[in-house]
Amino acid sequence: MRLTIERRLDQPRWLAAVVPVVSVAAALVLAGIVLLVTGHDPFSSYRKLFDAAFVQTGSVGQTLIAATPLAFTGLGAAAAFRMRLYNIGGEGQLYMGAIFGSGIGLLLGGAGGASPGVIAAMVAAGCVGGALWASIPGVLRAFFGTSEILTSLMLNYVAGYLLTYLIFQSQSYWRQTKGFNATVFPTGKPLPSNAVWPAWNVHAQGGIPIPLGAFFAVLAGLVLWVLYKRTRFGFEVQVLGDSEGAARYAGVPVRRKILAVMAISGAVAGLGGASQVGDFSHALDGDPNGLQKQAYGYSGIVVAALGRYNPFAVLLVALLIGGLDNAGNTLQGADFPSGLVGVIQGIILFCALGGEVLVRHRLRVARRVAATPELEPVA
Amino acid sequence: MNNALVVVLLASGVAYGTPLLFASLGELLAERSGVLNLGVEGMMLVGAVMGFWTVQRVHVGSGALALILALVVAAFSGAVMAAIHAFLVITLRANQIVSGLALTIFAGAVGLSSYLGSDLNLADVPASRTFHPFFPSTMQNWPIVGPIVFGQTPLVYLSWACVVAIVYYLARTRPGLNVRAVGEAPGAADAMGISVTKYRYVHTLVGGAFAGVAGSTFTLALTPQWVNGITGGAGWIAIALVIFAFWRPELCLVGAYFFGALQALAPELQARNISLGPTELWTNALPYAATVVVLVLVSWRGASRRLGAPAALGVAYVREEA
Amino acid sequence: MRNRKLALGAILLVVAAAAAVLALGTSPGSARSTAAFKAAWIYVGPHNDGGWSQAHDEGRLYVQKMLGSKVQTTYKENIAVGTQFDQTVSSLRAQGYKLIFATSYGYVTPAVAAKYPDVKFEQATGTLVSKNVSEYFGAAEDTVYLSGMAAGAAAKCNTIGYVVAFPIPEVIRHANAFALGAQATHPGVKVKLVWTNSWFDPSKEKKAAQSLHGSGACVLGQNVDSPATGQYAESVKVPWVGYDSDASKFAPKSWLTASVYNWGPYYLKRVQAAMNGTWKPGFYYGNIQDGFTKLAAYGPGVSAKAKAQIAAKMAYLKSHQNAEFTGPLYDQNGKLRVPKGQKMQVLKGGTNSLYGMNWLVKGVIGSPKG
Repeated sequence: MRLTIERRLDQPRWLAAVVPVVSVAAALVLAGIVLLVTGHDPFSSYRKLFDAAFVQTGSVGQTLIAATPLAFTGLGAAAAFRMRLYNIGGEGQLYMGAIFGSGIGLLLGGAGGASPGVIAAMVAAGCVGGALWASIPGVLRAFFGTSEILTSLMLNYVAGYLLTYLIFQSQSYWRQTKGFNATVFPTGKPLPSNAVWPAWNVHAQGGIPIPLGAFFAVLAGLVLWVLYKRTRFGFEVQVLGDSEGAARYAGVPVRRKILAVMAISGAVAGLGGASQVGDFSHALDGDPNGLQKQAYGYSGIVVAALGRYNPFAVLLVALLIGGLDNAGNTLQGADFPSGLVGVIQGIILFCALGGEVLVRHRLRVARRVAATPELEPVA
Repeated sequence: MNNALVVVLLASGVAYGTPLLFASLGELLAERSGVLNLGVEGMMLVGAVMGFWTVQRVHVGSGALALILALVVAAFSGAVMAAIHAFLVITLRANQIVSGLALTIFAGAVGLSSYLGSDLNLADVPASRTFHPFFPSTMQNWPIVGPIVFGQTPLVYLSWACVVAIVYYLARTRPGLNVRAVGEAPGAADAMGISVTKYRYVHTLVGGAFAGVAGSTFTLALTPQWVNGITGGAGWIAIALVIFAFWRPELCLVGAYFFGALQALAPELQARNISLGPTELWTNALPYAATVVVLVLVSWRGASRRLGAPAALGVAYVREEA
Repeated sequence: MRNRKLALGAILLVVAAAAAVLALGTSPGSARSTAAFKAAWIYVGPHNDGGWSQAHDEGRLYVQKMLGSKVQTTYKENIAVGTQFDQTVSSLRAQGYKLIFATSYGYVTPAVAAKYPDVKFEQATGTLVSKNVSEYFGAAEDTVYLSGMAAGAAAKCNTIGYVVAFPIPEVIRHANAFALGAQATHPGVKVKLVWTNSWFDPSKEKKAAQSLHGSGACVLGQNVDSPATGQYAESVKVPWVGYDSDASKFAPKSWLTASVYNWGPYYLKRVQAAMNGTWKPGFYYGNIQDGFTKLAAYGPGVSAKAKAQIAAKMAYLKSHQNAEFTGPLYDQNGKLRVPKGQKMQVLKGGTNSLYGMNWLVKGVIGSPKG
């Protein structure tokens, strides 16, 4: 008996929906075993997770807050990964978007209620910041063939150190220098009031604030979907992703595509950074224990992969993973070690990844073929 | 003489570069076979906590035996973590980048290693046994070579032996040459009868073992205690180091010590009252920026063949059925 | 066809299982319907880091012990500043926790406080005071000064090394207190600083300690949270002053003493106030008098003479608040900053206040800018 994995010739639609569900179920079973072994009740843990993500007062609002950055970094990663361009620099591109976005907000903002002009400028600045940062690995890949995996990874660190430097180690434009509080601890200069992004309040569950960034994320998803599925650009990107050789042969300008895709990918992640500042922190957060501890960029890659790089699926997965992250905060405590939360999340990811293979391949059990008898030479 | 900045930096560079060296050697082996494993940080942390646990809880007679056992346990733990990644990306052909990231989440500072550390009550206690330099202090005080060579713990010497062994392995042994084929052109290797799957598994697991030992370098030698996330991102630096070293073990050694020395630069400059501008920013960022520059050189058209990344790195191998 | 049926069956099974799980699992709200008052602590690092967060957790356990079943306490660890804090507060509040101790600067912002007006926040080391936000911290400098005296007495040369985190007033005043204490038992001694730019990083701290020792320091001290400096000190047989906790087990021979935070009594007071409705926001700044800060037990390297000197000074500090920062105080350039007899206020006085101090005293080598 031999187990082989062979590629499917066709990929039925229903499979694409069933597999993730079954994967997550398998994950919960596995994780449940781990919980039992470590002395926790899986049922109440899962119930707690579910409640914390969606049911408790304020949970949906918090899940949205957690999901918004993941949606941006997920869309950004998906935009590039679709083309086999492995941009793992979403983290750094998010930071640069935050820097640019908050810079413009500080520069142009003023008193009064939220100003569409200022916010639009912040959106643009965030996109530009992320796109520029992603263009470095983009240029290196397009013109020198350098692996974008490692250049983008390295630049994450550079961006992080720059972010901390702007607030903690310098008297930069972004740093709050006026007022007594400024001397006590390094903080970012708060955005002027018309640069603060508004939220739309839904009256349910005690009031769910939907951040403006969430709307932008959905919009970005829509734009990306149209771009990739309905334009010539998207078609060429698809061809390039499948086979660089075929693309060249078909006359697709490869270098330009690489630059464009990396820039788009970075722009979306950068917009996520601007959203972090505009929606949530209202000042540039350079604290190593703050934004940089959240690892939105890396989680976004996971979100993108689980959503199989389809923008709408990515948005949905971002919501789910955001809920999971939010719920993890609730689950941990004096009676539940915080490390177990990561273990459960890891198991879910592994199973989801493993399940992926069943979409594109199928398992086949083959009985050993009997040896063909040797033909005897005719005398 | 031994207090000169250069000597101090080199001595520190060797000491603090050692975990980077172990981890990058392991990752080098995995990548040579074509498997990219971004979960190094997670594997290092699990190795660190399990190695620490061994010296604290497993009671064997002599200190030396306890430490050796701890290294073995750390290596084994790292390999077990790597096995998860190996199964997902080799057998199930999952995306290698995502699987590595998932491993970091699963095993890292918010996952398994944190859980083990807190459940086994390992925090806030010094290691009961640690690696000490074993050369006599007279030798440690010899000019220049004293602190740099003789003032190091046995783990440093072990790492040198590993570098030599891996250089020999890759250049002179049949399996070593085979693994290079597996990483460059798995189809051709397969046609020659080399089992791509087996080589990838073995090298990924060995890579995990090295990462485990690298992690325990922290908890058994450098900062002998257990603290959540004690490796502080060294795993990511190790991944960069492999590229910086053009996938060559002897250059991993040079690179690791270079990175290590850079990390010791900022406090040294402060203690000597030398101010070079925003030192913190550029000494932190320099290793990463330098790696990008090296990467560009590596992939420049003509150079890449010679200086090469394994051509099939990161790509799952699928045998075309006849 | 068969595959499709299998798939459908699988989905139904999963849905049924999920429903069962949700039904069987006890909802967090329903399980415990006791009348216990719920208070929560939020830590920026692990609860057992042997330093800052652990000291807070010990305070929490003290409250739990003293009030028994009347109070239900919990903690959340590794919570980042920013939206994660918001999420954590939101879920704690949904579970009935109405008093939250936020143990790191930056946690409680005006926005968060306004979002949850029914939650009482206690913020450590901060400055925001509002309807539902109270601040608390204290004069660790009182005992840091005393620990500096121990370091000065143990110094056989003229340089003491001090590993420090961020160049902010909190750390600067601790460094100054340490230096002033050292100079009291060892006139003319210099205190050299190395900044690690992190509250807790064993690797960096050890490198800083090595650098200080290599450049001539014969005693090592710290204002950071891990015992790495001490482990290094022990290995080179140099005396060591710790911080935040009694870490003598990490360096039994080198250990001198340390400034230790004693959060318990304040926590107990505040939880009780919240329980009986008398909680009011304020700005608490404890000191050696009310037991907020203590000196850890001495190690073998503290001489009898030093112990006597420290005991005398401790008694003096207990009856003369903030005496260590009473003028005349000169800065590194020799300029007189605080005139003779004048005390430094906690908040008032600009750069001459404890919270605004951004200059180093004479005898400290290093830059207050990092």
